[in-house]
Amino acid sequence: MPEPEFPERGSDALADELLSDWLRRAAAATPDAPAIVEQDRNGEDRVTSFRELFEQAASLAMRFVEHGVRKQDRIALVLPKSTDAIVSVFASLLAGAVYVPIHPQWPKERIEATLADCGARLVIEGDGSPPRITDRETGESIPWGAPDIHSDISGADSLPRADAGDPALILFTSGSTGRPKGVVLSHRAVSAFVKWTAREFQINSADRIGCPSPLSFDLSTFDIFNMALGGATCVLVPEHIVWMPRFLVQFVREARITCWYSVPSILAGMLEKGRMAQHDYPGLRVILFAGEVFRGADVARLVAAVPQAVCANLYGPTETNVVTWYRVPRGFDGSQPLPIGQLCPYSTVTVDATSGELLAGGDSLMSGYWNRPEDTQRVFVSLEGKRHYRTGDRVSRAANGNYLFLGRLDRQVKRRGFRIELGEIETALAGREDILEAAAVAVEDEKLGTTIIAFVRARSDGAVTVIEAKAHCARTLPLYIVPDHIVFLDAIPKGSRGKIDYIALSKLAEALDQVAPKNAAPNSAAPNHAPNNGDQDRSPAVHR
Amino acid sequence: MHQTTEIKTAVRQFIAENVLLGIHQTTIEDTTPLVTGGLIDSIGMIGLVSFLETRFKVEFVPREIDVHSLNTLEQIEELIRKKLASQGTGAAGSTQQTR
Repeated sequence: MPEPEFPERGSDALADELLSDWLRRAAAATPDAPAIVEQDRNGEDRVTSFRELFEQAASLAMRFVEHGVRKQDRIALVLPKSTDAIVSVFASLLAGAVYVPIHPQWPKERIEATLADCGARLVIEGDGSPPRITDRETGESIPWGAPDIHSDISGADSLPRADAGDPALILFTSGSTGRPKGVVLSHRAVSAFVKWTAREFQINSADRIGCPSPLSFDLSTFDIFNMALGGATCVLVPEHIVWMPRFLVQFVREARITCWYSVPSILAGMLEKGRMAQHDYPGLRVILFAGEVFRGADVARLVAAVPQAVCANLYGPTETNVVTWYRVPRGFDGSQPLPIGQLCPYSTVTVDATSGELLAGGDSLMSGYWNRPEDTQRVFVSLEGKRHYRTGDRVSRAANGNYLFLGRLDRQVKRRGFRIELGEIETALAGREDILEAAAVAVEDEKLGTTIIAFVRARSDGAVTVIEAKAHCARTLPLYIVPDHIVFLDAIPKGSRGKIDYIALSKLAEALDQVAPKNAAPNSAAPNHAPNNGDQDRSPAVHR
Repeated sequence: MHQTTEIKTAVRQFIAENVLLGIHQTTIEDTTPLVTGGLIDSIGMIGLVSFLETRFKVEFVPREIDVHSLNTLEQIEELIRKKLASQGTGAAGSTQQTR
């Protein structure tokens, strides 16, 4: 079999390549190889070859340009992670535009606000296939499929071309003031990460990559762009089973996944409830995880369950993508926390001597926050003339050179791999008429992991119920940000200067969490007594 | 066979204990949206499904795990009844036990 014509990995001649160039090349090198496999509701596979993917994307890009889409216009993809969504990603990039993935399950008003914030020119949306494409300025629609999908795409060579330093995508993350922040990533930034993973983990055309993260999370740049770069197959994980461990384990086996990339919470579920260790995964050779702390004991179970696989912990916030990594050694016993490891070759980092904060720079760094010059200025610091991002993560460095994650310097938390600003929950709750004040804290639950408890002071006793307050959150926040529990207090504890006493609230939350029954024991009795933190002066009465 | 009210009562109690912590005496109506209403998230869904599987001795298949079929007490009850009915012929007795 002739060697497919993929460029030598890490070749400097490719430094100015665009992400869309990779697809163009893969379509020429291995036109009939499977680019995307998507399972429909009945479990049937829909396979899209590289030729089909490129033709569909190029033909759509040409329609965008004919319609008047210009270089660097934003194209919002309010779509589940589907073949159509990936076609839309590459169509946007081939047109020189920027794609903005927005999770379709976000509340309507958040989607609308995000569309307005990024000034999206086009919106691509809809549950079914094909999706609808609408011009947000004129209301006109653009047809998804050309009359003949194999129509002439020779014009694809004259499509507008972005520069490698231009934005390729914008990812909106939780913002502490309640407004999501758009992280702008250039072709070059994504390319640095993807090329490194391809080289380090030898990702090639025989690989079948599984990555359950939606397009709106940075983890998804791994599968869709490694597919294009190395001619690998992107095997889409059906969205409805992502959090169903038993089915997910079955999927990984049956879909013959060779490379996996997800948040640790999903793997932890597969190990525990999915009984991952009971099966063999002969082809599974790489397991990468990122997004939150993976407990040492769970990592040990993972390496024991899939002994032949290379397991690695990748670290970095959305703003920098991955900047450090740690290959889990064979026989890792989990008695020590897992380090975040050593630098990726394209990264530079410094630890702030006073605060211990990790400052990260290098090729994968974001261009800035969309339309938020002050925030951008605030998070960047110049070191030796180069921009570095203040991660807000406290780290230390072990004698062997590995970095260790110690915690956060602010009120950002990770729950199930999702990044959440507690302030955003407070803003959302306080936005309801009958709620006067809200304060959210996170506690670590032995069984359930990070659990968020929001304390609320209502206008009057019974003015709002837990169900109403939760429903209010669900209307304004993505479901992954909604607090686990809402507890009503007569008064939110305050310090001497009138600031919310989060330490007291954390203690109260821990006490509450201790008495709360867990899902594992559904028949256990409900707690009979509200907790009392023992400090009568400040102990607020919990409504019953 | 489980009565209509019995299924709803069991699920209602499960949610009251696990999601609402039993602290608040609020009512979960038959049509209160559990998932889209922010009461149950992805992890809560795992707990709910495994509770339903244990309690009613049924087994779910991937395509049944859907926000639209498990979003309200009414929908859950309908799904469980359907599953019990389809199992009933094959494995009588054990699947119809109530606790």
